[in-house]
Amino acid sequence: MAGQQENYAAFNSRALVEMVGDVTDEALKATKIKQFLSVLAGRYFNWAGRKSLFTLHLGIKCCAIEMAAAATPRFDGDRFGVLFRSSPRQSDVLLVNGPITKKFADKVVRLWEQMPEPKYCIAMGECAISGGPYFQSYNILEGVDTVIPVDVYIPGCPPRPEALIDGFGLLREKIIRIGAAPSSGRKGDKPVIVGED
Amino acid sequence: MTHGLWTLRVKVDGETVVDTEAELGYIHRGVEKIAESRDFTQITPYCDRLCYVSAMTWANSYIYAAEDLLEVEVPERAEYIRLIAAECQRLASHLMWLGAYGPDIGSLTLMTWCMRDREMFLDLLQELGGSRMHYNYPRVGGVKRDIPVGFADRLVAKVKLFEHRIDEYEMLLDESTIWLVRLQGVGYAKAEDMVNAGVSGPNIRAAGVNYDVRWAHPYSVYDQVDWEPAVEKPTSVKGADCYDRYRVRMEEMRQSCRMILDAIEKIPGGKNTNYANGDEMILAKAPTRAPEGATGFSHYECTRGASQFYIQGGGDGRGKNPYRLSIRSPMFITIPYVAKTMIGYKVADIPAIMGSFDPCIGETDR
Amino acid sequence: MGMRVTNEQADMAAEDAVKKLSDRFGSADVKATVEHHANAHKMAFVRAHVPAQHWTAVAKFLRFDAAVNYCSMVTGTHFPEGGADRGWEVVYHLMRQPVTDQAPNTNTVHVAESLRGDDIPLEFEVILTLPQTETPTVPSVQGIWVGADWNEKETWDLVGIRFEGHENMHRVLNPHDSPEGFHPLQKQHKIRYHDFNEMYDDAQGFGRKPTDEGRVK
Repeated sequence: MAGQQENYAAFNSRALVEMVGDVTDEALKATKIKQFLSVLAGRYFNWAGRKSLFTLHLGIKCCAIEMAAAATPRFDGDRFGVLFRSSPRQSDVLLVNGPITKKFADKVVRLWEQMPEPKYCIAMGECAISGGPYFQSYNILEGVDTVIPVDVYIPGCPPRPEALIDGFGLLREKIIRIGAAPSSGRKGDKPVIVGED
Repeated sequence: MTHGLWTLRVKVDGETVVDTEAELGYIHRGVEKIAESRDFTQITPYCDRLCYVSAMTWANSYIYAAEDLLEVEVPERAEYIRLIAAECQRLASHLMWLGAYGPDIGSLTLMTWCMRDREMFLDLLQELGGSRMHYNYPRVGGVKRDIPVGFADRLVAKVKLFEHRIDEYEMLLDESTIWLVRLQGVGYAKAEDMVNAGVSGPNIRAAGVNYDVRWAHPYSVYDQVDWEPAVEKPTSVKGADCYDRYRVRMEEMRQSCRMILDAIEKIPGGKNTNYANGDEMILAKAPTRAPEGATGFSHYECTRGASQFYIQGGGDGRGKNPYRLSIRSPMFITIPYVAKTMIGYKVADIPAIMGSFDPCIGETDR
Repeated sequence: MGMRVTNEQADMAAEDAVKKLSDRFGSADVKATVEHHANAHKMAFVRAHVPAQHWTAVAKFLRFDAAVNYCSMVTGTHFPEGGADRGWEVVYHLMRQPVTDQAPNTNTVHVAESLRGDDIPLEFEVILTLPQTETPTVPSVQGIWVGADWNEKETWDLVGIRFEGHENMHRVLNPHDSPEGFHPLQKQHKIRYHDFNEMYDDAQGFGRKPTDEGRVK
């Protein structure tokens, strides 16, 4: 039975994709083109993605008002390509801007899982970074990074809209650096914190 | 995003809403429990963050309750400064409401205009409190720092400019068919039902009732400045509709402008003097401990209704912390009421009705 | 010039209300007094201590005979060390507001100084004291004031006080799957890191791991 399954593996599309991927991966590694392609991918193939980061239109608490202010004429995030989308299926960035309660935790995880790769998460404000002023509360998680991987931290209570736009800039630099790495593999990265120079 | 994080479960029959149920608690932070381990001065930043769109009024509301508990008399200049700050905050909050309500109805222009004008008042409040949104400005016995030199000129210039801007908004909206059709005839609410349900503030005044905590349970120097409560005549025997609630807030913005311009002229000590921090003109000496058995409560007109704080003294630290801090949020009571108001209207009317009552979930979920 | 309700009006209204309450319920151990705020304009308000078993009758009297039409706040407090007679306290804040339905295209114009009788706005504070018990119970006033509905739900959710006769009681602020009997504002529940010395030893929290790491609630 096992032998027959192996013969049929080539006709199962998922197995076929994996097999082709493994074969090309071996070939590229052998000829050192893989490294070259990673550099290209990191810098150039992500150009459109990092220049237009679509953010999910999620507002939890006070930092959401500063997020709204960052979209308005005085600070204008739109000129940097930051556009707010209503559906997680269409967005690249999950901007967590408030404390995560026990009631909301699995919904944040569900939103994160509904977002297609490549996806990034920005923790905006103290409550999303570490629980903030409510770190002692019985109902608040101590930071959103206990449940989803975070790429950029923007400290502040609330951070100014300029800090949020700076956060998007740092995220852009991070995207150049990490290229096409999937979000689940980014846990060990050194965190990017706005304002830390 | 702009009204808050909550769920409204709606049962529909075709397009008509048959039943609704509100679900709150997505940002319940347990502020009442945390406050039992905090000093009276340390609780002020938590109260700023209750209704984050209208932080100064909530901090003031808590401070009046703490002053009732600790039996403190506030100097008059501090009361005038608190009044100016609270009315500036009321303007910023109503602008945020309008800027969020516009996109609900379909007018993105309104969002950009309102947020632009709100920045003017945020700059003024930043001069007083140091931050754009959470100021931590009032103290038990007064305010933290005096108005800066030159603040009065900037304040008067901005408020006078803003009065013309209100005319621009009305010009934009009162000639917009979409706005009128979506707001008029939608979301009727009668005054007596509202008061029995605990609704207060501009939502009640839209139904033709002249009730405002600022004159009914007077607390600051509102009786010395020139103003009238903004009341709107209801259009129908069924009560006030969304259009009335919109109009009452526009009128409130005008009254707030009038109050600010009057108060800055009448402020004791002059509008161009700046007293040092802690000077007795702006901050009175206040006890820091409240004995067991002492209680205090405040009744305050926040931008969305009447808020109340009830504090029982005698907590940890031999009375330095409160034993129990209880917060009354007008929106916590209004949202279930509004959820029932929506029955009988179409699904497309839901954002119009919800937005017209101006929910802010930060204070609802405490 | 802004108008306001004067101290004399508030005093008059408060004394009137206290007299009515005492006449009707004085023999039932209801103590009503006129108190004054300690700050601002030192306005008068009515404070009443009501035994829990008479609360429904007093509530109906306040609503229908004293024109108290607004239930503002319900607060529950736990006193584990209050003595045998004072284990729990439920404080109702009620208001009397001169609000009536308006005919179309009219509005009321109150002149504050000329309000009289039941039209004068007044604040009421009603305190129900319960003895030490595992199941504090208070009759519900959900049918008398609609505004008490969600206030009572919140008091049960956070403090654990049962409201007898309350329909459709459910958790409003805590998650719906909170453990049975979890009422966070009771004094035996402590906040996280409640011992502040921990914070001073490691003020930045570098050595501290979040207690919820990696777990989705």
